[in-house]
Amino acid sequence: MSWLGRLANVLRAGKLEREIRRELEFHAAERADELRAAGLSAEEASRRARVQLGNPLLQAERTRDADVSAWADGAVRNLRHAVRRLGHAPGFALTVIATLALGIGANTAVFSALDAVLLRPLPFPEADRLVRLMQKQAESSETSIAPVRLRDWNQLNSSFRVISGYFVEDVSETSGDLPERVRRAFVTPGILEAFGVSPAQGRGFRDEEHRFGGPPAALVSDRYWRARLGASPDVLARSVRIAGKAVPIVGVMPASFRFPDREVDLWFPSPVDAKFAQSRKSTWYSGVGRLRPGVTLEQARADLAAVQSRLAEQYPDPDRTIGVELSPLKDQAIGGVGHSLWLLFGAVSVLLLIACTNIVALFLARGASRRQEIALRLSLGASRTAIAGLVLAETLLLAVVGGGLGLLIAGVATAALRSLGAELPRVDEIVVDGRILAYCSASTLGVALVCGLLPALRAMREKSRVASGESARTQVSARQPLQWTLVGAQVALSVTLLAAAALLARSFHELARVEPGFDKSRVLSFRMSGSWNETADYPALVARVDRTLQALRGLPGVEAAASSGWTLPGVPVEYESSFELVEARGDVGRRIVADARSVSPEYFDTMRIPLLDGERCTQRAVGPRGALVEWDAVVNRAFAARYLSDFPSAIGLHLDPEKSGRPGRVVGVVGDARERGIDRDPVPTVYTCLGAPNPTPYFVLRTSAEPLAMVRAVRAKMKEIEPQRSVHDVGALDERIDAAYTMRRLLTLLLLLFSLSALSLACVGLYGTLSYAIGLRRREVGLRMALGALRGDIVRQFLGQGLRVVGFACASGIVLALALRRVLAGLLFGVSATDASTLAFVVALVVVTAALASLVPAVRAARLDPMRVLRED
Amino acid sequence: MSSALSKNDILQGTLSLLVLKTLASQKRLHGYAITTHIQSVSDELLRVEEGSLYPALHRMEQLGWLRSEWGTTDKKREARFYSLTAKGRKQLELEEESWSRLTEGVGRVLRYA
Repeated sequence: MSWLGRLANVLRAGKLEREIRRELEFHAAERADELRAAGLSAEEASRRARVQLGNPLLQAERTRDADVSAWADGAVRNLRHAVRRLGHAPGFALTVIATLALGIGANTAVFSALDAVLLRPLPFPEADRLVRLMQKQAESSETSIAPVRLRDWNQLNSSFRVISGYFVEDVSETSGDLPERVRRAFVTPGILEAFGVSPAQGRGFRDEEHRFGGPPAALVSDRYWRARLGASPDVLARSVRIAGKAVPIVGVMPASFRFPDREVDLWFPSPVDAKFAQSRKSTWYSGVGRLRPGVTLEQARADLAAVQSRLAEQYPDPDRTIGVELSPLKDQAIGGVGHSLWLLFGAVSVLLLIACTNIVALFLARGASRRQEIALRLSLGASRTAIAGLVLAETLLLAVVGGGLGLLIAGVATAALRSLGAELPRVDEIVVDGRILAYCSASTLGVALVCGLLPALRAMREKSRVASGESARTQVSARQPLQWTLVGAQVALSVTLLAAAALLARSFHELARVEPGFDKSRVLSFRMSGSWNETADYPALVARVDRTLQALRGLPGVEAAASSGWTLPGVPVEYESSFELVEARGDVGRRIVADARSVSPEYFDTMRIPLLDGERCTQRAVGPRGALVEWDAVVNRAFAARYLSDFPSAIGLHLDPEKSGRPGRVVGVVGDARERGIDRDPVPTVYTCLGAPNPTPYFVLRTSAEPLAMVRAVRAKMKEIEPQRSVHDVGALDERIDAAYTMRRLLTLLLLLFSLSALSLACVGLYGTLSYAIGLRRREVGLRMALGALRGDIVRQFLGQGLRVVGFACASGIVLALALRRVLAGLLFGVSATDASTLAFVVALVVVTAALASLVPAVRAARLDPMRVLRED
Repeated sequence: MSSALSKNDILQGTLSLLVLKTLASQKRLHGYAITTHIQSVSDELLRVEEGSLYPALHRMEQLGWLRSEWGTTDKKREARFYSLTAKGRKQLELEEESWSRLTEGVGRVLRYA
């Protein structure tokens, strides 16, 4: 019979069964005829004929089994059978489903985050060809590109379709009742071409709009259009009002275009031909370019390096010192969360593996109790593949139900992830969509296979026995090495996960205890809108910021106020610069690289960074173009110790930043503060005494009460003195520092959650396996007790059996944790990845928990009534 | 299972040989006729257990040794008739050969002992 025929048999199983019955009935009728001919009564003849034929139902079934191949019909039948069987064991089924739902749910949720943040391309066409470009200067953190150099790169390179530049500022939009902070990006020509997007409404910038003095034009974001303009259909006739100037809106960008960051709502053309944009020393733009098709990043790197070396010949100063750095745009968008996400995904996959192992152990224990049934089936002629199919159908059914619930859990979990990790890059792109659905289905099937294969193979190896005398007990070996290995693996993996989680938790503990060198409590920080245009008149800008600080200090409840140019203390930002010590000029061996921070004189008092030597700095006059004619510098102790130790005092020395020829005088030495991040050791730092190096410095206020209680008063005051500006980025400093560690906190929390779940699963596995092992040895226990064994001996015996496995598992788990210690590199603080006390604590926790899990069945074994047990047979 | 009825259980594996041989000589038979044929030809020495016959027939059909069709008997009853395929004929040769080897081997052992 062909496969088609078999399939047809499956589909019309009813007809087939009727045919078989007809065939058998014919046989019985013929036999009855014969018996009648031999002289029996008609009734007796037909009765005998039927008896001879055997049970007709069984006959029909067996005959049909020969016809219908196990594969397709079997699947349906197996599933129906599985439903029935699991219905008889609801506790087992629910345990497995819940375990799988949590395992698959957590795994899918973390995968959706991993997928959205790391795996998916940025939401632009052919986004893998987008490259970030920076100019790299020796011993400086400055990476922004001069407009003229960007133009040169564009003209001379052959790798990019276009290279565009942008910079961002926070300004006030004043078309409404209150000034509102809006982040705008100034962009050079070709930005839309680089991204391969066009406005959803209206048009991009025209050439003349990119010229200095050309017609004003603005593009607005989809969000801005909806939130601020009420999705008005006549948006192209409206305008935005910035710095008292109305700028007509020429287009609305699509919702997916959130560039350079998701806060940006306005795009303005940057006039690259302006006179003030012609200096090769200006540092304006971040670069973004689109590679030509077929050009690799390496080729582009070599190309731009060649271009830049030609420029270095043409313009030795400053191009000789400048290099080009290229990186995929996606790397920048993701930031540093990739490592953490992979780690999390690894952990959650281990958890799923543990869940599977647990389920395998459950199935094996259950399979042993099904041996009778399987043996019976085999002796009735069921094929081994059919038996395996039966077992696989059960796991598949459980996995599908568990996976379905897991998908629901994943949906809830991703929503939680989005709100918990709101600061994380691309977090708003996390969705449960077709891709995630596919992943979830694939992992469900994988889980079903992993969970079902071992038990199925076991069942297939079962010997065909007539289910007569032999009982299960006498056949089963009491050792179950496979089950114990699985339990051991679970415990070992939990130990490894717990070790990682404990080390991370310990790091957070250490982080909270660390003395940062400044006082982060009761500090309110915020920014005010400003425009880079203000830097055309630096003295006015400085005066404006000073005026604001004066007003803030006048507020009741404000103890001190200062401004900080680019950074907040403890919130990780690096800004490294090179300095030359004027007093040691000519000493070429003396290279000085330090963190450069620009702060107003009151910064040290406000942040409570102690002055160790010298005096507080004074803010000196600033030249018209922002040039520091004469300035005070304050260095920290680390700087003085590393670079100035061969001078009797640091005070009075002069530092020249990046060979500008305008050295500042060191007037004071302050204590070391963890400015670069609470988790990083203080580095040598030079503070430039200038509170307004840019139009939007941070303001920091030390308040006498809860800082956020001051927000209303601050806003009111600012409205009074600067009605055209908006206050934004308001927050308490300690919360901001916390926010900088969101990913790590999330990682720690989730890892703790996963590892504790893993431990509970492992304990359930241990408990189940031990209970099962004891169940098989009931008679032995009863016998020994009848012969005078003490209860304590019995408890010790089984507790020992459990703990021996746990001991091996802990050792392997720790070895695994040590082998994988690199994974945690960069995530730990104040504790090493091999910290003995943390690992010992983990082992102790696991051993105690495991002992409790083993104690219950062991004690139960000791409570057995020997007489009853022995009489059971 | 119906052990009381079959005093001469057919050695496992020989049933297919008997069925094939029967069909080779008789062309086209229904299940009942196969049992009576084997019984009468063997002078009642062999008796086919009905419980094994039909699963065996269907298995052999699946293996492609037999084909079947519905027909009417002399008594106007609907019955399923089996006949041999080419593949079945080949199988018969194989089984006959292995059977004769087996009997010869067993015979020699018996004679020797």
